[in-house]
Amino acid sequence: MKDPDSETVNRIQVEICPKRLLNPETAQMLLSELSTLDGISKAIIHGPRLPMTVAAGPGSGEDVGHAGRKVIVIADTALELSISVGRIRLEVADADVKEEVRITCEKVLPFQFEFKEGLYFHNRLTVSDYAKYGPDANVEMLGLSDPKSNNPICIIGSKE
Amino acid sequence: MAYKPQYYPGATSVAANRRKHMAGDIEKLREISDDDLTAVLGHRAPGSDYPSTHPPLAEMGEPACSIREIVEATPGAKAGDRVRYVQFADSMYNAPSTPYFRSYHAAINARGVDPGTLSGRQVVEARERDMEEVAKVQLETEMSCPGLSGLRGCTVHGHSLRLQEDGVMFDMLDRRRLENGTIIEDKDQVGVPIDRKVDLGKPMSEAEAAKRTTFYRIDNVSFRSDPEVIEWTQKVWELRTLYGFQPKN
Repeated sequence: MKDPDSETVNRIQVEICPKRLLNPETAQMLLSELSTLDGISKAIIHGPRLPMTVAAGPGSGEDVGHAGRKVIVIADTALELSISVGRIRLEVADADVKEEVRITCEKVLPFQFEFKEGLYFHNRLTVSDYAKYGPDANVEMLGLSDPKSNNPICIIGSKE
Repeated sequence: MAYKPQYYPGATSVAANRRKHMAGDIEKLREISDDDLTAVLGHRAPGSDYPSTHPPLAEMGEPACSIREIVEATPGAKAGDRVRYVQFADSMYNAPSTPYFRSYHAAINARGVDPGTLSGRQVVEARERDMEEVAKVQLETEMSCPGLSGLRGCTVHGHSLRLQEDGVMFDMLDRRRLENGTIIEDKDQVGVPIDRKVDLGKPMSEAEAAKRTTFYRIDNVSFRSDPEVIEWTQKVWELRTLYGFQPKN
């Protein structure tokens, strides 16, 4: 395993927290704009889940067909939203890229948003990561998906 | 002089709204037909008879009981209706009612109801036709905003989340949505599709919701801005604490 601190220590992690949950169109617009910026190495979208079927109660098993569950296209990569986008967390190369991200958000989002710098991706194996990926896990991929989830990590611009 | 109940202290709009909800002195804002209400509640088919769990009380021959003589049974109990529920979720972003004030409204203004108060939802259990009466009042009046309140029998998630872009409270089961300026519900409260689109009415504007809400919020009317409420909250807390203290010596 590579030394987790060697390459990622200088990068900046930011979180965009809009005042409202984004609808798929706004999420696609924002993520597409962000994908055109150089210097973003990781991104997570986070928010309340949009289930395919009713999970509890007398209606269990009924199709939900949530209007927010749409396929969005970001830089020619299609992905189906399984959440309502509430937060976007990014790892960016430096303060200049961070500023570009903030300007992009101001341009795209029609309402206020919080823009915070912090630590949002872990760079060391957690016990769950170790159990799922083993000792030779790629540090760059850590924290990009819920270890309990089967949702794949989406690599923008890749054909996979 | 006739006794006038003093339901809630405070001089702010939130305190006044809380008093109104408790007293049942609430303004009717919209009309929802009985069949539409029955459809969104999802307990029986609209237009069908109320299923019963026992024969009408008049046919049962009740035992001699002084309490039964004093307290008249509710219409639902008289008819032998089943006990059914209605459950609401109210957004923390200035929904008109809070779970506690829905419960206070039901307990003070209706008979034969069993309100349950939880952090993000509020349930009323009662005989079916009595429950429908409470549900209708709460849905048609200023106690509910179709955008900020929702009928949710299960999967209530959304009351503490940010609102959607269109100003509607998030609903994981997509039971209702904003269409042409009004809220349309096409599933019952547990997420089963129904055969109609029920128009729940126009959602309140942000300004109107802020005016009609019973939520204290730092960005609207803060709890700390109402000294009388603080005084009484502290007094109740103090008395509850002291009355539980029983020195043995």
